[in-house]
Amino acid sequence: MAPVTDSESGGIPSAVSTQLRRTREFVDETEPPALAIIAVMTLSLFAALVGFLAVSDLTIVPFVVFLGTAAIGWVRYQEETAYVIALAMTVSTILILGLIIVFIFRESVPVIRYESATVYGVTVPGLRMFIQPNWDAVSPPIRYSMVPMIHGTVMVTLIASTVAAPLGVSAALFLSEIAPATVREVVKPGVEILAGIPSIVYGFIGFTVLGPWASDQFQTTGQGSYLFVGIVVGLMALPTVVSVAEDALSSVPESMKSGSLAMGTTDWQTMTSITLPAAFSGVSAAVLLGVGRAIGETMAATVMLRGVPRLTEPLVNVFYGQETLTSIIARNYGEADGLQMDALFVAGAILFVTVLVISVGAQYIEWRMHKRLGGEI
Amino acid sequence: MAGASRTGGNLVEKETTETDAVAAVAIGLSAVLFALAIAAMFERISLTGTLAGVETVTLLGGLLTALGVAVIAFGVGSRFGSVETDPDPSAGIIAGGGAAVPWVVIGGAVASETLGFGTAVGAVAAVAAGAVAFAATVLPREDVGSTLPLGSLLAVTGLVFFTGVIGPTWVWELGWAQQAAITAEFLIPVATLFTTLYGGWASAKAYGGFGARGRHMGAYVLVYLNAISIVAFLFTLVAYVVVQGVPGLLNGADIGLGTGPETTILGVSVTLPVSVPFVMNGVALFNDFQGVLPAIVGTVWLVIGAVLLAVPLGVGAAVFLTEYADRGRFTQVVEVATNGLWSTPSIVFGLFGFAFLIPRFGNGKSLLSGMITLGFMLLPLVVITSREAMLSVPDEYRDASAALGVSKWQTIRSVVLPAALPGVVTGVILGVGRIAGETAPILLTMAGGTFIPESQTVDVIGSFQFTSAPPFVANPALLEATSALPYQLYALITAGVGLGSSVSDPNAFRWATALILLIVVLSFYAIGIATRYYFRRRLRHN
Repeated sequence: MAPVTDSESGGIPSAVSTQLRRTREFVDETEPPALAIIAVMTLSLFAALVGFLAVSDLTIVPFVVFLGTAAIGWVRYQEETAYVIALAMTVSTILILGLIIVFIFRESVPVIRYESATVYGVTVPGLRMFIQPNWDAVSPPIRYSMVPMIHGTVMVTLIASTVAAPLGVSAALFLSEIAPATVREVVKPGVEILAGIPSIVYGFIGFTVLGPWASDQFQTTGQGSYLFVGIVVGLMALPTVVSVAEDALSSVPESMKSGSLAMGTTDWQTMTSITLPAAFSGVSAAVLLGVGRAIGETMAATVMLRGVPRLTEPLVNVFYGQETLTSIIARNYGEADGLQMDALFVAGAILFVTVLVISVGAQYIEWRMHKRLGGEI
Repeated sequence: MAGASRTGGNLVEKETTETDAVAAVAIGLSAVLFALAIAAMFERISLTGTLAGVETVTLLGGLLTALGVAVIAFGVGSRFGSVETDPDPSAGIIAGGGAAVPWVVIGGAVASETLGFGTAVGAVAAVAAGAVAFAATVLPREDVGSTLPLGSLLAVTGLVFFTGVIGPTWVWELGWAQQAAITAEFLIPVATLFTTLYGGWASAKAYGGFGARGRHMGAYVLVYLNAISIVAFLFTLVAYVVVQGVPGLLNGADIGLGTGPETTILGVSVTLPVSVPFVMNGVALFNDFQGVLPAIVGTVWLVIGAVLLAVPLGVGAAVFLTEYADRGRFTQVVEVATNGLWSTPSIVFGLFGFAFLIPRFGNGKSLLSGMITLGFMLLPLVVITSREAMLSVPDEYRDASAALGVSKWQTIRSVVLPAALPGVVTGVILGVGRIAGETAPILLTMAGGTFIPESQTVDVIGSFQFTSAPPFVANPALLEATSALPYQLYALITAGVGLGSSVSDPNAFRWATALILLIVVLSFYAIGIATRYYFRRRLRHN
């Protein structure tokens, strides 16, 4: 999110100086004992974090100190203690994201080194994972290519999006613009419940019912096809699309819609020429988030796919489903160790980065839309 | 689909004329065809058999042709003024695109495969057919444009089935390295389904008399159909799992005094009056009926642990973000981070737990690692929903409280938090429903064997111990691998045939596990949705 609102007011240095000034004011205003307690709390919590990261048995000591001081602070200086605790909890959210990034990438370093390739005399680490399609963890040459899994994820995501996007946007239109109140009260929880059905249940039904049926219909050898994994995953991503798109559609000001209706248009004309264009960016953010869900879907893919990491022949053969980035992790973590385990972390890193980029992009689009519609951000 | 045509009746209120009746019959015909296509797809009706005395494929073909002819007749009739309509000069680009898609498929497939001209000619023919259909839709007046290309699509498809060019035994070998073929079993229902949707759309437009109102009708039929299908899909899914799972679940169940296992409630030993071995037993060699009790208990503890971690953290963060922090870069970063965490794939959380938590908690899979991993997954949802709930507390409340001269924290504690409580509670319950069904994170961090004997049912409270060495507190139950329902189901699926030795009817056992999992997860959702209604009703009454 580059163009942040307050960036015009002087950038980072001024923000830092404001923060410093605030901190100084806070220190001046607060009583010394309360300050001491805050200091002890902060330090002990930090020490506990460091201890935890260093895998120390003594982590419990600073943590108990933290709990003790927090308890004393709560009784004596509730105001300040509550503030510090709330701040610590906020920081922890960012910290978790940071830890995920660090640990996923740290674990994937060895295999990235192993899979270096030389292009024009320059050795690029990890490149060989993307320029040849061979994954073989057993017989030499041992290769950990991500290409088959990326292919699988792309296939599944494409099919899932063609299912989820039109159906989801149409259902969102229905819920937000068309449905009478009583119908909405039934359909909306229904969509929520659809989101709640565990992915392994979808996978189980896909595995026992859809899989044999599909292999019979398409006369394939064995069961597991990207086509049906894509359809199932699309249905699973549907609720995300519906709820985000519905939010976007209902955030279009009522006055715009009534203005159009007053011109004598039909409801549908208002939707296509006023509501949908106004909410277009929000709706596309919804589709993007749905795509993100589809990319990250694990269990249904794991259960329904074949589990042989190779490309389908030809590439567009959607009637065979080999492996996706998610399913290879879920399937192989058990036997894997060493480089193979690290290769799974590479798959995880690819997933994480892709979905994070999609999520940030969707947020940026939504943020711009709210700004344009003149609402609060 | 019956609902869709009924809706059509409510949307436009004018007297029924004969021409309206024709269009209404066409919509009805689409509904029948839609139902037949669905039934054929799930092999409820056999394509090789007969239906109402006629061969199924011939019947489908005949109905499709009839629908196509009706649609064309209506459009042409309108063009020559024998039907009173209100068409626009053109059907529009979107309708043109919609009509072009099936013709691209037909043109390409016929040229490259049926006539055998190869891929290049096929592509050219596909584009040509699509362009003709597009032009035929966009260029003429709307009544012809929105009926003729679609009507002929229906008629052509119908005739192909009717004349037996594509019969019940038709197969198209794709000739790919990995063998695959498109069979009539698949093609006929799917082609019927899609062309029927087009037919229904065109007839609904015709019913509305084209123009703005016709397009409104056409779109509403599709949108309503979509909404109905989603609800129907949900019901089918749940009903299917229930029907398949109930026999396994009730295997050996018994009701009557003294039939159930003994249990202790509030210190009194009671013999339960019901016995459902599937949820009250583990797996043991000499059990009459095997069950999944350890997995249920594992799920319960997992959820408790995740909630204990995520709710305080999440609510605290939400309090800070909404009440203390000024809107600025910091809050924006936190928002982006929470939303990013929310959309992070569950398997990535699993990998993270594997790399970060497992080495720190006894170097093996453990319940505690599972709890924390799921807690991390729940955290962003708690932050997001709590923030929304707190933002929706009116500022007047805060001002009124501040005017009394109390401090900020007191305002938060006694005004904001109670007012935001309903939203927070609902959000947490729905979030718990989501994580209770997650398999991928616990796969890597917590889950152990396929079958856990009853003796290993975790007892977290009973196994706290104090030790002399740091970290001074130990709880072996927390540090042991255990099972949870979603993992149990996964393990049962992947165990395949090897299951037979421990369970007499593996399939019933699997379905029953799926049913229990569904019951557990959906009851969280039911409670969450009910809570929301309860609070909303109460707010309205005040």
